[in-house]
Amino acid sequence: MRGLRSLVARRLLLGIVQTTAVVLLIFALTEALPGDAAVALAGDQPDSARIEAIRKAMHLDRPAPERLIEWVTGLLHGDLGTSLTSGRPVSSYLTGGFGPTLLLATLTVALLVPLGFGLGILAARHAGGLIDRLVSSMTLAVYAVPEFALGVLLVTVLALRLGWLPPTAVGYGTDLLAHPAALVLPVLVLLSRPVCSLTRLVRAGMIDALASPYVAQARRYGISGARIHLTHALPGALAPAAQHLARTIDWLLCGVIVVEALYTIPGLGTVLLNAVAERDVPVVQGLAVLFGVLTVVLNLGADLVAHRLAPRAGVAA
Amino acid sequence: MKSSRTGRFALGTAIIAVPLALALLGPLFTGDPGPRATSFTFGHGHWLGTDFVGRDVWQQVLHGGRPVVVTALAATALCYLVALPVGLLGALTHRRWLEELLMRPLDVLLAVPSLLLILLVASVFTPGPVGLALMVALVNVPDAARIVRAAAAEAAARPVVEALRMQGETWWRMAVGYVARAMLRTLVADVGTRLTGVLYLVATAAFLGVGVAPDAADWAVMVDRNRIGLFVQPWAVVVPALLIVALTMGTNLLFDAALDDGPGHARARGAGRRNATTKTLRSRAGSDVRP
Repeated sequence: MRGLRSLVARRLLLGIVQTTAVVLLIFALTEALPGDAAVALAGDQPDSARIEAIRKAMHLDRPAPERLIEWVTGLLHGDLGTSLTSGRPVSSYLTGGFGPTLLLATLTVALLVPLGFGLGILAARHAGGLIDRLVSSMTLAVYAVPEFALGVLLVTVLALRLGWLPPTAVGYGTDLLAHPAALVLPVLVLLSRPVCSLTRLVRAGMIDALASPYVAQARRYGISGARIHLTHALPGALAPAAQHLARTIDWLLCGVIVVEALYTIPGLGTVLLNAVAERDVPVVQGLAVLFGVLTVVLNLGADLVAHRLAPRAGVAA
Repeated sequence: MKSSRTGRFALGTAIIAVPLALALLGPLFTGDPGPRATSFTFGHGHWLGTDFVGRDVWQQVLHGGRPVVVTALAATALCYLVALPVGLLGALTHRRWLEELLMRPLDVLLAVPSLLLILLVASVFTPGPVGLALMVALVNVPDAARIVRAAAAEAAARPVVEALRMQGETWWRMAVGYVARAMLRTLVADVGTRLTGVLYLVATAAFLGVGVAPDAADWAVMVDRNRIGLFVQPWAVVVPALLIVALTMGTNLLFDAALDDGPGHARARGAGRRNATTKTLRSRAGSDVRP
């Protein structure tokens, strides 16, 4: 119990350090700007009024430590600063783009878990057979493909040639749930990579578990095949999969940015890309804090869950 | 199972052959770019049509593979240039504080989503191809260093190393002559997954406009810029997209087939030996394949 607690404590500590580091890293970004940050951000034709406005908005006239403290205090109160281009608070950008992104992420995860586990178990049951080889090579192949290339090909075939689905989500606004057809392609593309890796993990875990002595013993007792698969072998394969599920958050994030750009969905990814293009540093920083902290917390949670499921396995701490 | 392995090898080679040949040799076969035609049209000697500014798509395809492949290879090499010494030193040093100093900061970096870091930097600087390669290498260093360290630590714990030490062999002979060679197999497997991931990241960043000129001859940029003409002239998008799909898919299939031990090994039973070792190493390193 002591070992468990110290491991959990160490993992929690790592999470806190990671969060702090992410926040510091994001803050350090403006410090890394060459020369005068305000001039650098003002764009190709800097006029003195705009430079002055940027300097004022970002409090660049004050020393860095003071700004850091103020920024972090603001973060803790949910105040993320104001946009350089529009003057609107950053939090309004976040709430505006949150809906579509959350919808995409939720749908993807909700489909990812049954699909990944289903395919993995299916492949493991027929290990070495035709179905297994088919699933294994398909997942291996699709796993490597960037979302944008796959997405653009799917649009060409399914939307333009066959006309089954709308090619983009243009004109639907943020209310995507009312237009489910527009969601099919984005979710399909978002699923492509995580499903492959999850399937491979579950398959490998299941095969390891099925070859283990405790499953052999269960077979000797005459327990039916399906029951062995689902109640004895599957839990063993669950721990690495749970850990992996959180790592897919990183992929989902990459995927969401690309997919939103590809299908013009007005979510957080689009907000981030626009802010990057306009060099709207406060908005980029606000989004980065949100994404970074989310990643840290989800990884932390997954490691703890995995530790709970399989206390023997080492956890990243 | 031998035939299955050969088959997969052939499949991987067949898939990667076209994009790789185009990427490496394409620039040699390009002719005079010629005058610009109307955007998104067919015919008049443009057998793949013209792109968004009226350039010949085939010429762009011939030029566009090299930046993707070269940037990815450079980023992978750069990543190991840092990860190998850091990981080896972390595994072989007897000074606990040095190991902590080398490895702990990497744990922290692991928490930052890779594409987010690249976009963060892109919002402040305007990185070129070199900058993109550096950034992609940087986001891969933590994971690579952990794998190197885990593999080296496993090899360094073997009795052979003990024997070498008792014989009074030098540190260099132990580290490079034995440990580095013993972990070569795991390393090659990791290079395979990493190259796939790096290709993904380089192409995606270029698609999002990071590290490339807005009108660059680059397959990923072509997909992005010619998307507006998808209705009129799909070839300007479909051809580069297919080439990227074939390139990434082929890399992954080829490395998987090349590293499979083939007959006698456990592929029929499930995870091959390579997979089992990499898997334990990965779980010990507490990390996973990152995009």
